[in-house]
Amino acid sequence: MIRYFLGSIGRSFLNGVHSALVVCVLIMDTLNWLFLQPLLGRGLRWRSAVEHFVEYGFRSIPIVGLISLLVGIIMGMQSAYTLQQWGATIFIANLVGISALRELAPLMSAILITGRSGSAITAEIGTMKVSEEVDALMVMGLNPVKFLVVPKFLGMVIAVPCVTVLSMAIMIAGGFIVAVGILGIDFWAYFDQTASALVSKDLFSGMVKSVFFGLTICWVGIYRGFQVEGSAESVGKMTTSSVVTSIFTIIIVDLVWTTLFYFTE
Amino acid sequence: MMSNNNNEYVIEVENLVVQYGTKRVLDNISFKVKKGEIFVILGGSGCGKSTLLRTLVGLIRPHSGKIIMFGKDVTTMSTQEQIEVRKRIGMCFQNSALFNSMTVGENVALPLKEHTRLAESTIEIMTQIKLDLVGLGGCAHLYPSQLSGGMKKRAGIARAMALDPEIIFYDEPSSGLDPIVAAGLDHLIRKMQNTFNLTSVVVTHDLESVQIIADRVCLLHAGKIIAIGDLKEMELNTDSYLRQFFTRTPNPEENQSSSAILDSFEDM
Repeated sequence: MIRYFLGSIGRSFLNGVHSALVVCVLIMDTLNWLFLQPLLGRGLRWRSAVEHFVEYGFRSIPIVGLISLLVGIIMGMQSAYTLQQWGATIFIANLVGISALRELAPLMSAILITGRSGSAITAEIGTMKVSEEVDALMVMGLNPVKFLVVPKFLGMVIAVPCVTVLSMAIMIAGGFIVAVGILGIDFWAYFDQTASALVSKDLFSGMVKSVFFGLTICWVGIYRGFQVEGSAESVGKMTTSSVVTSIFTIIIVDLVWTTLFYFTE
Repeated sequence: MMSNNNNEYVIEVENLVVQYGTKRVLDNISFKVKKGEIFVILGGSGCGKSTLLRTLVGLIRPHSGKIIMFGKDVTTMSTQEQIEVRKRIGMCFQNSALFNSMTVGENVALPLKEHTRLAESTIEIMTQIKLDLVGLGGCAHLYPSQLSGGMKKRAGIARAMALDPEIIFYDEPSSGLDPIVAAGLDHLIRKMQNTFNLTSVVVTHDLESVQIIADRVCLLHAGKIIAIGDLKEMELNTDSYLRQFFTRTPNPEENQSSSAILDSFEDM
Protein backbone atom coordinates (compact mmCIF):
# COMPACT_ATOMS: atom_id res chain seq x y z
CA MET A 1 0.00 0.00 0.00
CA ILE A 2 2.71 2.43 1.10
CA ARG A 3 4.86 1.22 -1.73
CA TYR A 4 2.05 1.86 -4.20
CA PHE A 5 1.51 5.33 -2.76
CA LEU A 6 5.18 6.30 -2.87
CA GLY A 7 5.49 4.77 -6.31
CA SER A 8 2.69 6.91 -7.70
CA ILE A 9 4.28 10.05 -6.21
CA GLY A 10 7.61 9.11 -7.81
CA ARG A 11 6.01 8.41 -11.17
CA SER A 12 4.07 11.65 -11.28
CA PHE A 13 7.23 13.54 -10.27
CA LEU A 14 9.18 11.91 -13.10
CA ASN A 15 6.32 12.68 -15.50
CA GLY A 16 6.42 16.30 -14.35
CA VAL A 17 10.18 16.51 -14.93
CA HIS A 18 9.79 14.92 -18.33
CA SER A 19 7.07 17.32 -19.50
CA ALA A 20 9.08 20.27 -18.14
CA LEU A 21 12.02 19.09 -20.26
CA VAL A 22 9.81 18.73 -23.33
CA VAL A 23 8.42 22.24 -22.83
CA CYS A 24 11.98 23.59 -22.46
CA VAL A 25 12.99 21.98 -25.76
CA LEU A 26 9.87 23.43 -27.37
CA ILE A 27 10.71 26.90 -26.03
CA MET A 28 14.30 26.66 -27.27
CA ASP A 29 13.10 25.49 -30.67
CA THR A 30 10.58 28.32 -30.93
CA LEU A 31 13.14 30.96 -30.01
CA ASN A 32 15.61 29.41 -32.43
CA TRP A 33 13.16 29.58 -35.34
CA LEU A 34 11.92 33.01 -34.25
CA PHE A 35 15.23 34.84 -33.87
CA LEU A 36 18.20 32.80 -35.04
CA GLN A 37 17.04 31.02 -38.20
CA PRO A 38 15.50 34.11 -39.89
CA LEU A 39 18.91 35.77 -39.52
CA LEU A 40 20.45 32.79 -41.33
CA GLY A 41 18.06 33.38 -44.20
CA ARG A 42 15.49 30.70 -43.40
CA GLY A 43 12.65 33.21 -43.35
CA LEU A 44 9.68 33.77 -41.12
CA ARG A 45 6.08 33.15 -42.07
CA TRP A 46 4.86 36.71 -41.60
CA ARG A 47 1.55 36.35 -43.36
CA SER A 48 0.56 33.40 -41.27
CA ALA A 49 1.61 35.27 -38.10
CA VAL A 50 -0.58 38.24 -39.04
CA GLU A 51 -3.52 35.93 -39.75
CA HIS A 52 -3.10 34.38 -36.32
CA PHE A 53 -2.83 37.80 -34.72
CA VAL A 54 -6.14 38.80 -36.30
CA GLU A 55 -7.73 35.56 -35.15
CA TYR A 56 -6.47 35.67 -31.55
CA GLY A 57 -6.59 39.44 -31.05
CA PHE A 58 -8.97 41.27 -33.33
CA ARG A 59 -11.69 38.61 -33.39
CA SER A 60 -11.68 38.30 -29.60
CA ILE A 61 -12.33 42.04 -29.10
CA PRO A 62 -16.17 41.80 -28.98
CA ILE A 63 -16.30 39.16 -26.26
CA VAL A 64 -13.38 40.55 -24.24
CA GLY A 65 -14.85 44.06 -24.56
CA LEU A 66 -18.29 43.00 -23.38
CA ILE A 67 -16.97 40.99 -20.43
CA SER A 68 -14.59 43.81 -19.45
CA LEU A 69 -17.47 46.30 -19.44
CA LEU A 70 -19.58 44.03 -17.26
CA VAL A 71 -16.70 43.34 -14.87
CA GLY A 72 -16.06 47.09 -14.65
CA ILE A 73 -19.70 47.73 -13.74
CA ILE A 74 -19.70 44.90 -11.19
CA MET A 75 -16.52 46.21 -9.59
CA GLY A 76 -17.96 49.72 -9.49
CA MET A 77 -21.08 48.54 -7.70
CA GLN A 78 -19.25 46.22 -5.31
CA SER A 79 -16.85 48.96 -4.23
CA ALA A 80 -19.70 51.49 -3.98
CA TYR A 81 -21.38 49.15 -1.52
CA THR A 82 -18.51 49.52 0.97
CA LEU A 83 -17.36 53.06 0.15
CA GLN A 84 -20.86 54.55 0.45
CA GLN A 85 -20.80 53.81 4.21
CA TRP A 86 -17.88 56.26 4.56
CA GLY A 87 -19.20 58.75 2.04
CA ALA A 88 -16.12 58.08 -0.05
CA THR A 89 -17.68 57.00 -3.32
CA ILE A 90 -15.15 59.09 -5.27
CA PHE A 91 -12.56 56.44 -4.38
CA ILE A 92 -14.38 54.01 -6.64
CA ALA A 93 -12.12 55.54 -9.27
CA ASN A 94 -8.99 54.36 -7.42
CA LEU A 95 -10.36 50.90 -6.73
CA VAL A 96 -11.64 50.19 -10.21
CA GLY A 97 -8.68 51.81 -11.96
CA ILE A 98 -5.95 50.08 -10.00
CA SER A 99 -7.51 46.66 -9.92
CA ALA A 100 -8.32 46.82 -13.63
CA LEU A 101 -4.80 47.80 -14.66
CA ARG A 102 -2.81 45.68 -12.26
CA GLU A 103 -4.93 42.58 -12.13
CA LEU A 104 -8.33 42.10 -13.64
CA ALA A 105 -7.89 43.27 -17.23
CA PRO A 106 -4.79 41.11 -17.88
CA LEU A 107 -6.32 38.13 -16.10
CA MET A 108 -9.76 38.31 -17.71
CA SER A 109 -8.30 38.81 -21.19
CA ALA A 110 -5.90 35.92 -20.72
CA ILE A 111 -8.58 33.55 -19.46
CA LEU A 112 -10.96 34.49 -22.28
CA ILE A 113 -8.27 34.08 -24.92
CA THR A 114 -7.32 30.73 -23.39
CA GLY A 115 -10.86 29.52 -23.79
CA ARG A 116 -11.19 30.95 -27.27
CA SER A 117 -7.78 30.42 -28.84
CA GLY A 118 -5.66 28.29 -26.51
CA SER A 119 -8.12 25.46 -27.00
CA ALA A 120 -8.19 26.12 -30.75
CA ILE A 121 -4.38 25.88 -30.96
CA THR A 122 -4.40 22.49 -29.22
CA ALA A 123 -7.28 21.20 -31.33
CA GLU A 124 -5.66 22.36 -34.56
CA ILE A 125 -2.23 20.87 -33.89
CA GLY A 126 -3.80 17.74 -32.40
CA THR A 127 -5.99 17.19 -35.45
CA MET A 128 -3.02 17.74 -37.72
CA LYS A 129 -1.10 15.13 -35.77
CA VAL A 130 -3.92 12.60 -35.96
CA SER A 131 -4.37 13.09 -39.71
CA GLU A 132 -0.58 12.74 -40.25
CA GLU A 133 -0.27 16.32 -41.50
CA VAL A 134 2.59 16.96 -39.08
CA ASP A 135 4.35 13.87 -40.43
CA ALA A 136 3.73 15.10 -43.96
CA LEU A 137 5.45 18.38 -43.11
CA MET A 138 8.45 16.55 -41.71
CA VAL A 139 8.75 14.21 -44.71
CA MET A 140 8.72 17.28 -46.97
CA GLY A 141 11.72 18.53 -45.03
CA LEU A 142 9.72 21.37 -43.47
CA ASN A 143 10.09 22.04 -39.77
CA PRO A 144 6.77 21.88 -37.84
CA VAL A 145 8.06 24.42 -35.32
CA LYS A 146 8.70 26.94 -38.08
CA PHE A 147 5.39 26.22 -39.79
CA LEU A 148 2.96 25.69 -36.97
CA VAL A 149 4.47 27.04 -33.79
CA VAL A 150 6.27 30.29 -34.61
CA PRO A 151 3.36 32.03 -36.42
CA LYS A 152 0.96 31.11 -33.60
CA PHE A 153 3.52 32.21 -31.05
CA LEU A 154 4.08 35.61 -32.65
CA GLY A 155 0.36 36.17 -33.13
CA MET A 156 -0.47 35.27 -29.56
CA VAL A 157 2.34 37.18 -27.83
CA ILE A 158 1.38 40.36 -29.67
CA ALA A 159 -2.38 39.84 -29.46
CA VAL A 160 -2.73 39.33 -25.71
CA PRO A 161 -1.13 42.66 -24.63
CA CYS A 162 -3.12 44.54 -27.29
CA VAL A 163 -6.40 43.06 -26.15
CA THR A 164 -5.40 43.70 -22.54
CA VAL A 165 -4.91 47.44 -23.11
CA LEU A 166 -8.36 47.62 -24.62
CA SER A 167 -9.82 45.63 -21.78
CA MET A 168 -8.23 48.01 -19.23
CA ALA A 169 -9.84 51.03 -20.88
CA ILE A 170 -13.25 49.38 -21.10
CA MET A 171 -13.15 48.18 -17.51
CA ILE A 172 -12.46 51.70 -16.30
CA ALA A 173 -15.33 52.88 -18.48
CA GLY A 174 -17.54 50.34 -16.70
CA GLY A 175 -16.63 51.94 -13.37
CA PHE A 176 -17.46 55.33 -14.93
CA ILE A 177 -20.95 54.16 -15.81
CA VAL A 178 -21.68 53.17 -12.22
CA ALA A 179 -20.09 56.22 -10.59
CA VAL A 180 -21.39 58.87 -12.96
CA GLY A 181 -24.64 57.26 -14.09
CA ILE A 182 -25.91 55.69 -10.87
CA LEU A 183 -24.17 57.48 -8.02
CA GLY A 184 -24.25 60.90 -9.70
CA ILE A 185 -20.58 61.75 -9.21
CA ASP A 186 -19.42 64.65 -11.39
CA PHE A 187 -17.88 63.39 -14.64
CA TRP A 188 -14.73 65.52 -14.47
CA ALA A 189 -14.20 64.90 -10.76
CA TYR A 190 -14.24 61.17 -11.42
CA PHE A 191 -11.96 61.58 -14.44
CA ASP A 192 -9.41 63.60 -12.43
CA GLN A 193 -9.57 61.10 -9.58
CA THR A 194 -8.86 58.22 -11.96
CA ALA A 195 -6.00 60.07 -13.61
CA SER A 196 -4.37 60.95 -10.30
CA ALA A 197 -4.84 57.45 -8.88
CA LEU A 198 -3.01 55.64 -11.64
CA VAL A 199 0.72 55.72 -12.11
CA SER A 200 2.67 54.34 -15.03
CA LYS A 201 3.88 51.43 -12.94
CA ASP A 202 0.32 50.12 -12.71
CA LEU A 203 0.10 50.00 -16.47
CA PHE A 204 3.60 48.53 -16.73
CA SER A 205 2.92 45.69 -14.31
CA GLY A 206 -0.30 44.84 -16.10
CA MET A 207 1.46 44.77 -19.47
CA VAL A 208 4.32 42.61 -18.22
CA LYS A 209 1.79 40.13 -16.89
CA SER A 210 -0.14 40.08 -20.13
CA VAL A 211 2.98 39.29 -22.17
CA PHE A 212 3.74 36.33 -19.93
CA PHE A 213 0.11 35.22 -20.04
CA GLY A 214 0.39 35.21 -23.83
CA LEU A 215 3.52 33.05 -23.66
CA THR A 216 1.77 30.67 -21.27
CA ILE A 217 -1.39 30.26 -23.40
CA CYS A 218 0.66 29.66 -26.49
CA TRP A 219 3.16 27.16 -25.13
CA VAL A 220 0.64 25.18 -23.12
CA GLY A 221 -1.68 25.01 -26.14
CA ILE A 222 1.08 23.86 -28.46
CA TYR A 223 2.57 21.41 -25.97
CA ARG A 224 -0.81 19.77 -25.39
CA GLY A 225 -1.44 19.72 -29.13
CA PHE A 226 1.75 17.78 -29.81
CA GLN A 227 0.84 15.37 -26.99
CA VAL A 228 -2.16 14.13 -28.96
CA GLU A 229 -1.70 10.49 -29.94
CA GLY A 230 -3.78 8.40 -32.28
CA SER A 231 -7.44 9.24 -32.12
CA ALA A 232 -10.01 12.00 -32.18
CA GLU A 233 -10.81 11.21 -28.56
CA SER A 234 -7.29 12.20 -27.62
CA VAL A 235 -7.80 15.57 -29.34
CA GLY A 236 -10.80 16.25 -27.11
CA LYS A 237 -8.98 15.17 -23.97
CA MET A 238 -5.93 17.27 -24.71
CA THR A 239 -8.03 20.33 -25.59
CA THR A 240 -9.76 20.17 -22.22
CA SER A 241 -6.47 19.58 -20.49
CA SER A 242 -4.93 22.49 -22.41
CA VAL A 243 -7.51 24.96 -21.06
CA VAL A 244 -7.22 23.68 -17.48
CA THR A 245 -3.40 23.64 -17.48
CA SER A 246 -3.28 27.01 -19.14
CA ILE A 247 -5.59 28.75 -16.65
CA PHE A 248 -3.77 27.10 -13.74
CA THR A 249 -0.39 28.22 -15.08
CA ILE A 250 -1.69 31.72 -15.74
CA ILE A 251 -2.74 32.03 -12.07
CA ILE A 252 0.70 30.82 -10.95
CA VAL A 253 2.45 33.29 -13.27
CA ASP A 254 0.11 36.01 -11.99
CA LEU A 255 1.02 35.19 -8.40
CA VAL A 256 4.75 35.27 -9.16
CA TRP A 257 4.62 38.65 -10.89
CA THR A 258 2.26 40.16 -8.30
CA THR A 259 4.68 39.09 -5.57
CA LEU A 260 7.63 40.52 -7.47
CA PHE A 261 5.89 43.85 -8.05
CA TYR A 262 4.66 43.96 -4.47
CA PHE A 263 8.14 43.64 -3.01
CA THR A 264 9.80 46.04 -5.42
CA GLU A 265 7.62 49.07 -4.81
CA MET B 1 29.20 11.42 -57.62
CA MET B 2 28.86 7.71 -57.16
CA SER B 3 29.68 5.11 -59.75
CA ASN B 4 26.92 3.41 -61.72
CA ASN B 5 27.49 0.22 -59.84
CA ASN B 6 26.47 1.75 -56.51
CA ASN B 7 23.56 3.49 -58.14
CA GLU B 8 21.83 0.23 -58.86
CA TYR B 9 20.46 0.12 -55.32
CA VAL B 10 18.89 3.35 -54.11
CA ILE B 11 17.80 2.02 -50.72
CA GLU B 12 19.77 -0.49 -48.72
CA VAL B 13 18.43 -1.55 -45.34
CA GLU B 14 20.80 -3.53 -43.12
CA ASN B 15 19.86 -5.29 -39.88
CA LEU B 16 17.21 -2.73 -39.01
CA VAL B 17 15.72 -3.00 -35.52
CA VAL B 18 12.90 -0.76 -34.28
CA GLN B 19 11.62 -0.92 -30.73
CA TYR B 20 8.77 0.78 -28.88
CA GLY B 21 9.99 0.61 -25.30
CA THR B 22 10.99 -3.03 -24.92
CA LYS B 23 8.64 -4.28 -27.63
CA ARG B 24 10.50 -5.17 -30.79
CA VAL B 25 8.38 -4.10 -33.78
CA LEU B 26 10.94 -4.72 -36.51
CA ASP B 27 13.51 -7.42 -35.93
CA ASN B 28 16.70 -7.48 -37.97
CA ILE B 29 15.28 -6.42 -41.33
CA SER B 30 17.54 -6.31 -44.38
CA PHE B 31 16.62 -5.69 -48.01
CA LYS B 32 17.64 -3.64 -51.02
CA VAL B 33 15.55 -1.66 -53.46
CA LYS B 34 16.77 -1.34 -57.05
CA LYS B 35 16.62 1.90 -58.96
CA GLY B 36 13.42 2.28 -60.98
CA GLU B 37 11.51 -0.69 -59.58
CA ILE B 38 8.27 -0.91 -57.64
CA PHE B 39 9.07 -2.66 -54.39
CA VAL B 40 6.04 -3.82 -52.43
CA ILE B 41 6.09 -4.44 -48.70
CA LEU B 42 3.28 -6.88 -47.95
CA GLY B 43 1.99 -8.00 -44.61
CA GLY B 44 -1.01 -8.44 -42.35
CA SER B 45 -2.33 -5.81 -39.98
CA GLY B 46 0.07 -4.98 -37.18
CA CYS B 47 3.05 -6.77 -38.73
CA GLY B 48 5.12 -3.60 -38.65
CA LYS B 49 4.92 -2.63 -42.33
CA SER B 50 3.75 0.92 -41.64
CA THR B 51 6.45 1.22 -38.99
CA LEU B 52 9.01 0.09 -41.57
CA LEU B 53 7.86 2.75 -44.04
CA ARG B 54 7.87 5.48 -41.38
CA THR B 55 11.38 4.42 -40.36
CA LEU B 56 12.55 4.57 -43.98
CA VAL B 57 11.36 8.17 -44.40
CA GLY B 58 12.88 9.15 -41.06
CA LEU B 59 9.76 9.64 -38.94
CA ILE B 60 10.83 6.91 -36.52
CA ARG B 61 14.36 6.59 -35.23
CA PRO B 62 15.58 2.99 -35.44
CA HIS B 63 17.09 1.25 -32.43
CA SER B 64 19.95 -0.11 -34.51
CA GLY B 65 20.84 -0.91 -38.10
CA LYS B 66 21.49 1.12 -41.21
CA ILE B 67 19.29 2.71 -43.86
CA ILE B 68 21.42 3.73 -46.80
CA MET B 69 19.68 6.04 -49.24
CA PHE B 70 21.48 7.54 -52.23
CA GLY B 71 24.69 6.01 -50.85
CA LYS B 72 24.52 7.63 -47.41
CA ASP B 73 23.31 6.32 -44.06
CA VAL B 74 20.25 8.41 -43.17
CA THR B 75 20.13 7.24 -39.56
CA THR B 76 23.35 9.03 -38.62
CA MET B 77 22.85 12.20 -40.66
CA SER B 78 22.70 15.77 -39.41
CA THR B 79 19.35 17.55 -39.64
CA GLN B 80 20.53 19.60 -42.60
CA GLU B 81 21.63 16.52 -44.55
CA GLN B 82 18.33 14.88 -43.71
CA ILE B 83 16.43 17.79 -45.23
CA GLU B 84 18.50 17.42 -48.40
CA VAL B 85 17.54 13.74 -48.59
CA ARG B 86 13.90 14.56 -47.93
CA LYS B 87 13.83 16.88 -50.93
CA ARG B 88 14.67 13.84 -53.07
CA ILE B 89 11.88 11.63 -51.71
CA GLY B 90 8.11 11.94 -51.68
CA MET B 91 5.55 10.22 -49.55
CA CYS B 92 1.84 9.52 -49.97
CA PHE B 93 0.14 8.91 -46.66
CA GLN B 94 -2.63 6.43 -46.01
CA ASN B 95 -5.21 9.14 -45.43
CA SER B 96 -3.45 11.45 -47.88
CA ALA B 97 -2.57 13.93 -45.05
CA LEU B 98 -3.32 16.97 -47.20
CA PHE B 99 -3.26 20.23 -45.26
CA ASN B 100 -6.92 20.92 -44.68
CA SER B 101 -6.45 24.64 -44.27
CA MET B 102 -5.04 25.00 -47.80
CA THR B 103 -6.50 24.39 -51.23
CA VAL B 104 -5.28 21.42 -53.26
CA GLY B 105 -3.19 23.76 -55.41
CA GLU B 106 -1.56 25.36 -52.37
CA ASN B 107 -0.85 21.92 -50.98
CA VAL B 108 1.07 20.95 -54.10
CA ALA B 109 2.78 24.34 -54.32
CA LEU B 110 3.98 24.30 -50.70
CA PRO B 111 7.16 22.23 -51.15
CA LEU B 112 8.03 24.25 -54.26
CA LYS B 113 7.56 27.53 -52.42
CA GLU B 114 9.63 26.42 -49.45
CA HIS B 115 12.46 24.55 -51.14
CA THR B 116 12.98 26.45 -54.40
CA ARG B 117 13.45 30.07 -55.36
CA LEU B 118 11.13 29.88 -58.36
CA ALA B 119 8.87 32.77 -59.30
CA GLU B 120 5.23 32.66 -58.27
CA SER B 121 4.06 32.21 -61.86
CA THR B 122 6.45 29.29 -62.48
CA ILE B 123 5.24 27.57 -59.33
CA GLU B 124 1.67 28.01 -60.52
CA ILE B 125 2.45 26.34 -63.84
CA MET B 126 4.36 23.49 -62.18
CA THR B 127 1.50 22.92 -59.73
CA GLN B 128 -0.89 22.72 -62.66
CA ILE B 129 1.36 20.19 -64.43
CA LYS B 130 1.54 17.98 -61.34
CA LEU B 131 -2.23 18.10 -60.90
CA ASP B 132 -2.80 17.30 -64.59
CA LEU B 133 -0.45 14.36 -64.18
CA VAL B 134 -2.72 12.72 -61.60
CA GLY B 135 -5.90 13.75 -63.39
CA LEU B 136 -6.95 16.55 -61.06
CA GLY B 137 -6.37 19.44 -63.46
CA GLY B 138 -9.51 21.34 -62.55
CA CYS B 139 -9.32 20.88 -58.79
CA ALA B 140 -6.56 23.31 -57.79
CA HIS B 141 -8.97 25.74 -56.13
CA LEU B 142 -10.86 23.09 -54.13
CA TYR B 143 -10.22 22.30 -50.47
CA PRO B 144 -9.31 18.72 -49.47
CA SER B 145 -12.65 18.34 -47.65
CA GLN B 146 -14.41 18.81 -50.99
CA LEU B 147 -12.61 15.85 -52.60
CA SER B 148 -13.55 12.17 -52.61
CA GLY B 149 -11.23 9.55 -51.09
CA GLY B 150 -9.66 8.60 -54.41
CA MET B 151 -9.16 12.22 -55.44
CA LYS B 152 -7.47 12.96 -52.10
CA LYS B 153 -5.00 10.13 -52.70
CA ARG B 154 -4.30 11.48 -56.17
CA ALA B 155 -3.75 14.95 -54.76
CA GLY B 156 -1.41 13.36 -52.19
CA ILE B 157 0.57 11.82 -55.05
CA ALA B 158 0.70 15.18 -56.84
CA ARG B 159 2.09 16.79 -53.70
CA ALA B 160 4.64 14.01 -53.22
CA MET B 161 5.70 14.52 -56.86
CA ALA B 162 6.05 18.29 -56.49
CA LEU B 163 9.83 18.35 -56.18
CA ASP B 164 10.37 15.60 -58.81
CA PRO B 165 11.60 13.06 -56.28
CA GLU B 166 13.70 10.03 -57.12
CA ILE B 167 11.98 7.74 -54.65
CA ILE B 168 8.30 7.78 -53.76
CA PHE B 169 6.75 5.96 -50.81
CA TYR B 170 3.10 4.92 -50.76
CA ASP B 171 1.38 3.94 -47.52
CA GLU B 172 -1.59 1.68 -48.34
CA PRO B 173 -2.57 3.48 -51.55
CA SER B 174 -5.68 1.37 -52.17
CA SER B 175 -7.07 1.20 -48.63
CA GLY B 176 -10.59 2.53 -48.24
CA LEU B 177 -11.22 2.81 -51.98
CA ASP B 178 -13.68 0.94 -54.18
CA PRO B 179 -12.15 -1.57 -56.65
CA ILE B 180 -12.47 0.71 -59.68
CA VAL B 181 -10.82 3.71 -58.03
CA ALA B 182 -8.18 1.45 -56.47
CA ALA B 183 -7.38 -0.04 -59.88
CA GLY B 184 -7.10 3.47 -61.32
CA LEU B 185 -4.61 4.32 -58.60
CA ASP B 186 -2.59 1.17 -59.31
CA HIS B 187 -2.31 2.22 -62.94
CA LEU B 188 -1.30 5.71 -61.89
CA ILE B 189 1.49 4.27 -59.73
CA ARG B 190 2.66 2.16 -62.68
CA LYS B 191 2.48 5.13 -65.04
CA MET B 192 4.52 7.32 -62.68
CA GLN B 193 7.19 4.66 -62.47
CA ASN B 194 7.30 4.15 -66.25
CA THR B 195 7.30 7.83 -67.16
CA PHE B 196 9.81 9.14 -64.65
CA ASN B 197 11.82 5.96 -63.94
CA LEU B 198 10.74 6.52 -60.38
CA THR B 199 11.69 4.10 -57.64
CA SER B 200 8.56 3.28 -55.66
CA VAL B 201 8.16 1.60 -52.30
CA VAL B 202 4.57 0.56 -51.66
CA VAL B 203 3.16 -0.74 -48.40
CA THR B 204 -0.08 -2.65 -48.85
CA HIS B 205 -2.08 -5.73 -47.96
CA ASP B 206 -4.14 -5.62 -51.15
CA LEU B 207 -3.21 -8.76 -53.10
CA GLU B 208 -4.92 -7.67 -56.30
CA SER B 209 -2.99 -4.44 -56.57
CA VAL B 210 0.21 -6.37 -55.86
CA GLN B 211 -0.41 -8.42 -59.01
CA ILE B 212 -0.57 -5.23 -61.08
CA ILE B 213 2.16 -3.06 -59.63
CA ALA B 214 4.80 -5.21 -57.98
CA ASP B 215 8.21 -5.79 -59.52
CA ARG B 216 9.47 -7.34 -56.33
CA VAL B 217 7.70 -8.18 -53.09
CA CYS B 218 8.74 -8.74 -49.53
CA LEU B 219 6.38 -10.34 -47.04
CA LEU B 220 6.58 -9.15 -43.46
CA HIS B 221 5.24 -11.13 -40.52
CA ALA B 222 5.65 -10.31 -36.81
CA GLY B 223 8.46 -7.88 -37.52
CA LYS B 224 10.51 -10.26 -39.69
CA ILE B 225 10.87 -10.70 -43.43
CA ILE B 226 9.51 -14.11 -44.40
CA ALA B 227 10.16 -13.99 -48.10
CA ILE B 228 11.55 -11.61 -50.66
CA GLY B 229 11.54 -11.83 -54.44
CA ASP B 230 9.38 -11.32 -57.52
CA LEU B 231 5.84 -12.68 -57.85
CA LYS B 232 6.96 -15.94 -59.51
CA GLU B 233 9.30 -16.70 -56.64
CA MET B 234 6.44 -16.03 -54.26
CA GLU B 235 4.28 -18.59 -56.08
CA LEU B 236 6.99 -21.20 -55.63
CA ASN B 237 7.66 -20.43 -51.97
CA THR B 238 6.22 -23.05 -49.61
CA ASP B 239 6.33 -21.13 -46.31
CA SER B 240 3.05 -21.85 -44.51
CA TYR B 241 2.29 -18.22 -43.54
CA LEU B 242 3.07 -17.04 -47.05
CA ARG B 243 0.79 -19.67 -48.59
CA GLN B 244 -1.93 -18.74 -46.10
CA PHE B 245 -1.51 -15.03 -46.92
CA PHE B 246 -1.60 -15.49 -50.67
CA THR B 247 -4.57 -17.87 -50.61
CA ARG B 248 -6.51 -15.70 -48.13
CA THR B 249 -7.07 -18.54 -45.64
CA PRO B 250 -8.25 -17.56 -42.15
CA ASN B 251 -6.46 -18.74 -39.01
CA PRO B 252 -7.94 -22.10 -37.91
CA GLU B 253 -8.35 -21.22 -34.20
CA GLU B 254 -9.95 -17.85 -34.94
CA ASN B 255 -12.28 -19.61 -37.30
CA GLN B 256 -13.32 -22.01 -34.58
CA SER B 257 -13.86 -19.45 -31.82
CA SER B 258 -15.91 -17.16 -33.98
CA SER B 259 -18.02 -20.00 -35.30
CA ALA B 260 -18.60 -21.24 -31.73
CA ILE B 261 -20.21 -17.89 -30.89
CA LEU B 262 -22.18 -17.91 -34.10
CA ASP B 263 -23.31 -21.47 -33.42
CA SER B 264 -24.56 -20.48 -29.98
CA PHE B 265 -26.62 -17.74 -31.62
CA GLU B 266 -28.04 -20.22 -34.06
CA ASP B 267 -29.09 -22.47 -31.17
CA MET B 268 -31.20 -19.75 -29.61
